[in-house]
Amino acid sequence: MAREFTSAELETYIDEELPAEEMAAIESEVRAKPELQARIAEILERQNQGAHSIAAIWRRHRLSCLSRGQLGSYLLGTLSAEEAGYVDFHVRTVGCAFCGANLEDLQRQQVERERAAAASGSSGSPLDPAVQARRQRYFQSSAGYLSLRKGT
Amino acid sequence: MSGGLDGDRVLLKRLRAGDQSAWRELIDRFEGRLHAYVDARVRDRTACEDIVQETLLGFHHALPHFADDKPIENYLFRIAAHKRMDHMRQVGRRQRFSGSLTTSSGGEWDIVASTQRGASSIVRNSEQQRIEEAAIVAVLTEQIARWRERGDWRKLECVELLFVRGWTNKRVAETLGMSEQQVANFKYDTIEMLRKRVGGYRPVDGPLT
Repeated sequence: MAREFTSAELETYIDEELPAEEMAAIESEVRAKPELQARIAEILERQNQGAHSIAAIWRRHRLSCLSRGQLGSYLLGTLSAEEAGYVDFHVRTVGCAFCGANLEDLQRQQVERERAAAASGSSGSPLDPAVQARRQRYFQSSAGYLSLRKGT
Repeated sequence: MSGGLDGDRVLLKRLRAGDQSAWRELIDRFEGRLHAYVDARVRDRTACEDIVQETLLGFHHALPHFADDKPIENYLFRIAAHKRMDHMRQVGRRQRFSGSLTTSSGGEWDIVASTQRGASSIVRNSEQQRIEEAAIVAVLTEQIARWRERGDWRKLECVELLFVRGWTNKRVAETLGMSEQQVANFKYDTIEMLRKRVGGYRPVDGPLT
């Protein structure tokens, strides 16, 4: 049976804030169903007219998102069972893409630290050389803009 | 929400002064999470790096107008969402609609439908929206903090699924192992709290319909 989507789900889809698999699933439904496209156009028009939705405000201000500190404590296993349960819920059940990204980033850092410690007794940078190279590319291709700002 | 607003302000000050070490620090602090966010949907290394790069440059261009009381992370994620969406449209993995994302003068990302409207009407709505939104944020922030302090995790989870994900009472009840009546009660309490504390607030979506 085809799934019914609520307005909040469609709004979250419009904002690209659903988990990747759900985004893809809704996208394929939207392509196939003109009535869903019409509902999305209606939501956009309603937003243009100044309508609020709690969902959009909650997501925009990330009212229930976790701090990096909380996510780090979750990875270290130092949160209470209830708090850890909420982190699981927020990242996996709600599918918060922002906290999910933060968690993945922190996990990667944790793995790098452990690997560096195991390899060399923690001497040198624990950063993955590929990540280091990527950051260097970002810096080199954008630092020039900063010099321009300084000069203006 | 992610803290560190004071740290953000110091970094912003250095960035605005053209301090290149601050730019490197910004990249070191935020690149990893931005990369993870973009990669979750794009799954193409080159495209992902391009989007993160464009996000950082977008932030750089917005620096003169960026409000110091807003977390840098939120703003970077907003820009990344916009760039990611553009990419998904370009590669045909996302439908185009008769609306588009654009920036408002306040620097936030808003959805603006293609229908042309008078400038005064847009300003009026925008002003009303800002005031109402600030009130809703204040009330919900306080309520969420209270639920967390009291350990009312189930209530927070229930309201989050109802309002943020827009799930039906039945689906929320099944997911959280609650009765539909309990879910309906939590929903009613939250809407009533908003009605009482945010003058003139009328919910327009999912939870009431």
